[in-house]
Amino acid sequence: MGKVKIKRKSTLIDMTAMSDVTVLLLTFFMLTSTFLQKEPVTVLTPSSVSEIKVPVTNYSTILISPEGKVFLSVAGDADSTYSTEKVRAELIRNAVSEYNKTHSNKIQLTNEQVAKFSKMNMFGVKLSYLPEFLDLPQIKQDEIISDMNNDMVGIPVDDNKDLGKPNEFQIWMRAIYNSSNPNLEQAIKSGEGIAVKADKDTPYDVVHNVLDNLQTLKMNKFSLMTALKTEND
Amino acid sequence: MAQIEQSDKGGKKKKGAQKKMQIHVDFTPMVDMNMLLITFFMLCTTMIKSQTLQISLPSNEKVEQEQQNKTKQSEAVTLILDTERDSEGNVKVDPDSGKPAHIIYYYEGKAEVADENHDGLIDNSNLKVEKFVGNENGEVQGIRKILHNRNKQVLEKIDVLKTQWKNKELTDEEYQAKAKQIRNDSTLTRPVVIIKAGPNASWESLISALDEMQINQISRYQIDNINGVDSALIFDYQAKNPRK
Repeated sequence: MGKVKIKRKSTLIDMTAMSDVTVLLLTFFMLTSTFLQKEPVTVLTPSSVSEIKVPVTNYSTILISPEGKVFLSVAGDADSTYSTEKVRAELIRNAVSEYNKTHSNKIQLTNEQVAKFSKMNMFGVKLSYLPEFLDLPQIKQDEIISDMNNDMVGIPVDDNKDLGKPNEFQIWMRAIYNSSNPNLEQAIKSGEGIAVKADKDTPYDVVHNVLDNLQTLKMNKFSLMTALKTEND
Repeated sequence: MAQIEQSDKGGKKKKGAQKKMQIHVDFTPMVDMNMLLITFFMLCTTMIKSQTLQISLPSNEKVEQEQQNKTKQSEAVTLILDTERDSEGNVKVDPDSGKPAHIIYYYEGKAEVADENHDGLIDNSNLKVEKFVGNENGEVQGIRKILHNRNKQVLEKIDVLKTQWKNKELTDEEYQAKAKQIRNDSTLTRPVVIIKAGPNASWESLISALDEMQINQISRYQIDNINGVDSALIFDYQAKNPRK
């Protein structure tokens, strides 16, 4: 009997082209990406027709949660002399020495704690709690800082017009200004260096408090972060 | 993974003929891995960069009365922003438009507070109410209409520039410079807008108000604190027009 021979066809698909495409896409994403920065609260910014972009370097963000808690972040220069980490290390040293001038309970930070601080993107705890906070592991820190009911979370911004006895927010903002980075200083002077980011539903008196503090610090020019919309909306 | 296929067609082989080999490399795992990486990068990146609105506030220092610039009464428009909130502080939504319920109280010139018959109600209050509506069918609406009409001379001149710029008769820089010149031209009647926000007003309403300044090419505006007269006017308005 003659056998019927079934020709076996290979089911292999040539994946080379597919691979080419994916590698191209991957390269595109790797080159264009700027990573999402971790923030304690997610805020939805209101939208405006303004088309000025947020700068990439040399600016500080003031994040205001709807509950009125304030957080700060600083971005340094692209140049490594004033890199973000160096600026942050300088900033915390400034802030602590300023704080120790006006408070009886002095803060001492170890080099390790300063190094840990300079890796943090957004910070916002009371200065008196900072050393303890910095010693905690990362997961614990994230947990604490996103708890809006915690009294220690958020930089205190009370109404204060007397710069001889600055509140903690004023200490921080001054420290940012004096963090020995001339480019950041220039940016703050021109108004591009400070960006206020608040949720669209935040009551005005909460934001007003922060703006008022900035006015007291004579940082009268700043930018407000918004999303984009068209004129017709 | 990689397969070497020998083709032996034709049964008999000639001696000394080279074997033909086909090499297949299976790229499937490679593609899998790439896809995973792409997904990771796609989820972790921000494509949209936030926009910013630049503002400058006056300094907090006390200014002598004589040094203060007094706005001409005929030029002033005062906006007082407020947002309707429920008992838990959440922003209410306007049932007609589906947008957040922002209210703009405004008066032109000076606030009029006179209580001639002493009944505790203000007579002839010049406080009016508007909303942020934006454009409807290409027509300006709501508060934009009021500001638009107040700044008509500037807007008409800028419209002429805009068409020139769209027809490529002007470069971007020229257009910006000329537009700025028109916005600050003191021979035209331009309003001075004073923006005040009540404690309940949401941040969005303030940004929308600043936005209207940009849209209507108003160069002179300022953010001010609400004062007693303004609150009295609003209380009076609400007493006369209770909310449904």
